Amino acid sequence: MAIKRFNWAQLLSLPALLIYGVFFVYPLLRGIGMSLTDWDGMGSARFVGLRNFIQFFHDPRAIHDIRTTLVFALGSAVLLNVVGLLYALLMNTQFKGKSIARVIIYLPAIISPLIMGYIWYFLLQPGRGFLYHAFLQLGLPDLVGSWMSSYSSAMRVLVLVNVWQFSGMTMIIYLAGLQSIPSELSEAAKIDGANSWQRFWRVTVPMLMPAIRINVVTNIIGSLSVFDVIMSLTEGGPGYATESLSIYIMRMCYGSRTGYSTAVAMILFFIILIPVLISMRLTRQKD
Amino acid sequence: MKEKTGVKAARILVVVLICLACLMPFYILLVLSLNAPSRVFYEGNLFVPDFYWQNYVDAWNKSRIGTAMLNSALITAGTLTITIVSGGLAGYAIARHPGKFNGFVFGLLIGCMMIPGIINTVPLYVLMRKLHAINTIWGMVCVCSALAMPSAVFIYTTFIRAQPKELDEAAALDGCTPFMTFWKIIFPIIRPATASFVILNGFGIWNNYAQACFFLQSRDKQNIPQALSVFFQQFAGARWHLMAATAVIAIIPVVIIFLVFQKQFIKGLSDGAMKG
Repeated sequence: MAIKRFNWAQLLSLPALLIYGVFFVYPLLRGIGMSLTDWDGMGSARFVGLRNFIQFFHDPRAIHDIRTTLVFALGSAVLLNVVGLLYALLMNTQFKGKSIARVIIYLPAIISPLIMGYIWYFLLQPGRGFLYHAFLQLGLPDLVGSWMSSYSSAMRVLVLVNVWQFSGMTMIIYLAGLQSIPSELSEAAKIDGANSWQRFWRVTVPMLMPAIRINVVTNIIGSLSVFDVIMSLTEGGPGYATESLSIYIMRMCYGSRTGYSTAVAMILFFIILIPVLISMRLTRQKD
Repeated sequence: MKEKTGVKAARILVVVLICLACLMPFYILLVLSLNAPSRVFYEGNLFVPDFYWQNYVDAWNKSRIGTAMLNSALITAGTLTITIVSGGLAGYAIARHPGKFNGFVFGLLIGCMMIPGIINTVPLYVLMRKLHAINTIWGMVCVCSALAMPSAVFIYTTFIRAQPKELDEAAALDGCTPFMTFWKIIFPIIRPATASFVILNGFGIWNNYAQACFFLQSRDKQNIPQALSVFFQQFAGARWHLMAATAVIAIIPVVIIFLVFQKQFIKGLSDGAMKG
């Protein structure tokens, strides 16, 4: 009987596990315990059960932040995919300067969203912004003035800036998807008499499903934890109108409500879990 | 079948308009950064700046953006090195020596892949304080490495699984230890995996703000986004010419790197995304 020697080579994954365990998994688990206390970050913590969670749902600001976060995430996900797909369809044809156009459209996505927020702040700030004056000089005063002054206009601006910045990213993924569709499929449909609209919905879209799923899921999850662009463009204002849950977590933490802020993080975690589980379900169904 | 010229011209027009929309904010940032402090905004031609280069000198001297760039470079280089080496090793172990242990490691990393950093930032802050890792480059490197680790392990595992096992067997016959087999044989031939990983994560580490604003608050340890946000808050919305010049300095390195590597970049992005 051969004695099976311990395979040391399998432990080569230990360094990665160690880093991930200490700096990600441990704080994640620690946060669960912390969310059940009234800890202020300095003194001793007292177990308060679910009080933080109950407080959260009784705080109008917190409920509003959930709404802001969801509106931002859904608005961004829908528009990023529509715009990204349109760009990809446009770029999936032959013309001169195509590769330059692709680089230019992708360019905004490499810049820090925080810096992007500042740039758009310079453009849109009522009274001083560049576009504000450009539109005034063009004789279009109706187009200016209300940006960022109310909840709905500020939300629109945030979503549009996010879409402007990252539609190049969704475009690249849709382009890769479009290029993997064999052209025979479309040709065959053409011979069978399908017009281009029918070919798009019956051939292209079904074949693009993997790319659509990747894009929708990454966009929703990414936008649910939105932080940078709001910090620089509106700072969550006017008032707390455009504050996202991530920003609320940070502010509660700095406001010495450490236990409470980890409870909010748990709530955000469960919100993010929904699209994650749906996408896993969809992937499994496909397999 | 030839397309109609009208359709083609319309398409090119649309593409040009989209490109202009993408470049316009950058151009205006440049204009703002070159306007003299005394310029009254709504006088003269909006699109032609004063070419007041002194802004860049002032911005560089007042904003600490130079230190911040060095810090960002150190954090990015350190994080990429750690995640490539440990993530590559883990990918090798998972692909070549599967078992209960590595099944657990892979499941844990992939299971947590979608959880954004903000979820555990507050308890992490407490841990970092205990480790005296706040306001240190190495502390930030550890945080960023953990955040990028699932992506590294996933990419390396996928690529190494696609390599023929005969490579390992031949190396073992020649007396290579598993570590040497990975380092001398596997790692060099999966360079596309490393490229893919760097492309998908490099800019994100360089641009990190959500963690930096917790862990890098001291003036000489700030990374670029944190330095910018501190600098901008200091002026509370005034002195746009200096803020714009600082922003231009801050984005020049990423734009140059992107333009130099754009071919590999677009390719790596499409490859990496479709594998995920």
